[in-house]
Amino acid sequence: MQVFKAMLKVMRKRFPSALVYIIVFITVSVMVTKASTKDNKFEASTLDICVFDEDDTPESRALVEFLGKSNDIAEIKNDRKAITDALYYKRINYALVINGGYAEKLKAGETADLFGSYHLDESFSTVYISQFLDEYVSSVNAYLTMGRSADEAIAATEEALSQETQVDMLRVDKAGNSHFSVDFSGYFRYMPYILISVILSVVCLALITMNKKDIRYRTNCSALKNSSYTFQMFFGSFLFVFCIWLILIIIGAFLNEEMYTGRAWLAVLNSFIFSMVIAALAVLISSFEPKDNIMSLITQITGLGMSFFCGVFIPMEMLSSGVKSFARFLPAYWYVRANDMIAEIEPYSLNDVLQCYLIQLLFAAALIFVTLLVRRLRYSSASIGSAVKKAAANS
Amino acid sequence: MEKTVVSIKELVKRYGDLIALDHFSLDIYEGEVFGLLGPNGSGKTTTINCLLSLLAFDKGDIEIFGKKMTPVSYDIKKEIGVIMQNVAVFDELTVYENIDYFCGLYITDKNKRSQYVEEAIKFVGLEDFRKFYPKKLSGGLLRRLNIACGIAHKPKLIILDEPTVAVDPQSRNRILEGIQELNRNGATVIYTSHYMEEVEQICTRIAIMDKGKKVAEGTKDELKRMIKNTETITIEILELPDRIKAEISSLPHIYDAQYAEGRLTVSCSGGKHNLIRVLDVLQKNELSFGRVYTELPTLNDVFLEITGKALRDKEE
Repeated sequence: MQVFKAMLKVMRKRFPSALVYIIVFITVSVMVTKASTKDNKFEASTLDICVFDEDDTPESRALVEFLGKSNDIAEIKNDRKAITDALYYKRINYALVINGGYAEKLKAGETADLFGSYHLDESFSTVYISQFLDEYVSSVNAYLTMGRSADEAIAATEEALSQETQVDMLRVDKAGNSHFSVDFSGYFRYMPYILISVILSVVCLALITMNKKDIRYRTNCSALKNSSYTFQMFFGSFLFVFCIWLILIIIGAFLNEEMYTGRAWLAVLNSFIFSMVIAALAVLISSFEPKDNIMSLITQITGLGMSFFCGVFIPMEMLSSGVKSFARFLPAYWYVRANDMIAEIEPYSLNDVLQCYLIQLLFAAALIFVTLLVRRLRYSSASIGSAVKKAAANS
Repeated sequence: MEKTVVSIKELVKRYGDLIALDHFSLDIYEGEVFGLLGPNGSGKTTTINCLLSLLAFDKGDIEIFGKKMTPVSYDIKKEIGVIMQNVAVFDELTVYENIDYFCGLYITDKNKRSQYVEEAIKFVGLEDFRKFYPKKLSGGLLRRLNIACGIAHKPKLIILDEPTVAVDPQSRNRILEGIQELNRNGATVIYTSHYMEEVEQICTRIAIMDKGKKVAEGTKDELKRMIKNTETITIEILELPDRIKAEISSLPHIYDAQYAEGRLTVSCSGGKHNLIRVLDVLQKNELSFGRVYTELPTLNDVFLEITGKALRDKEE
């Protein structure tokens, strides 16, 4: 396995230049994952309120204190103009007035005219606070009716209302099945760019090095069978591509431990197939033996070009129909389409996803076919002959 | 009887209308340092490529170690070492790793390979550079690495295709000494070059190629005996009347006398005391002269006389 080992050494030397792509990808992924995690997790919201306690009794103060535990209480001057200004400029969402006689009425079981308020009509905060106060008063009344003292009733009510519920966000797919909502599509969306950049900048350059005319000549003179040489080269390339893909999948798991649930495995398979397509592309490009600086240009053009045209950087729905028609001839388009379908950005059907896989595999097969054709032309004895003929003609 | 290592019979290679090798035949025997001499386009590299089965040929037969050579003759290839004009090493691997890689294409046993690699490093004198990357090596050291990569597996037949092109004189001498040492250790060497001095220095037998044909073959003495010129006399002289030049030309064993830029060049074919006879003519005519020197024929003279053109003129 001399060729394989040498190839790994060459790739190891080339890898640091590709590391920058991985670092950028991880940074972007962390940001995207954090944003999507925030969207998918339930968090009780707090409101900015102000309270004017005109009763000023232990019962009213207990209510103010309890409200302060789950809301931010702002200090506003008890003046109609100041309060309406604060509501208008959204410094507060709700202004509550605890009317005088609140404690007496509460103990008497009365619920009318306990509170006054300033608020914006039909706003979420108005409904939320109103419901909370109704619930609070009803609960205290219920405990009083049960024969508890006012202090006990308030304490029991606060305890009951303080209990939190575990909330899981579920998503219902088009088949009616509900499952945990984890946004894997954002992570997999940017993967084509990193796969193209890393694979082309490492595998391509390694293959070019291994196939340099003089080194290839010396290898052809050796006792190593051609089939063994080709196998070791392909094995080395495949192993690197597989490792890079695996690293990206593992990074995904670190970023979000619930990443790989349900349909996310289809996205994982999609990314693996796309990796193979890019590996085939790398082998084809290396057959033309471009120089290092040209290779860098090819990597940039291929990576950025496919990413922009195929909906990696810009959502596909924002692309013009002309661009989309062109993008159909690029493998990344089918990757992104499959990914969007799996994540239900597009209508989902397993057959459609499988079709996208198949088209990507066809791209890989076509690239391998063209590679074999190019190599046959470039490395045939006729090619060596023409080089010798050229030398003879020049002399 | 000498054992034939390489046998090429009636080899023909065409590129369309161009005949690169025209019924070329050659036998190389065990223990020889065989020189293949000729200008670019004479067919040296085509011969080597056909020999190594890197190039298909139209007609003829090639046998190495008594076996027919084909692209899949891996048992034969195992015994061949190739050192090309261009340095073929990996920039990404160290000196040791490079030699180990190329040696590993022939030797699979790790311990044996490790020993061979060390010996090759010692042989080319790169002991202090084993962890260096090729880009850190000078041109001469790089050539030595190139040679080490080609001979580390201890081949019985070593093919060197112009290994000293663009090499400084010191490194060139070291390389030539190395080739002679490899030969002393039992390897048969095929050495292609257009540097006649090198071929004269190290080759035991030489074939001269031109336009795909072998125009002469033999030891250097045999080749020199093939030509008319046995001695060239050069005399620095301020002026030489045509009458005296004609008198010199008419002397026995002298077949040509040329005067140009204050220098009389006399070509002799055999005979003794040619120089004394020429100087006698000059003294008799009271012509004063400066430096006088004589040269024995070189391979360039051989090439010039056989092909009608100077070997080096085509190259540099």
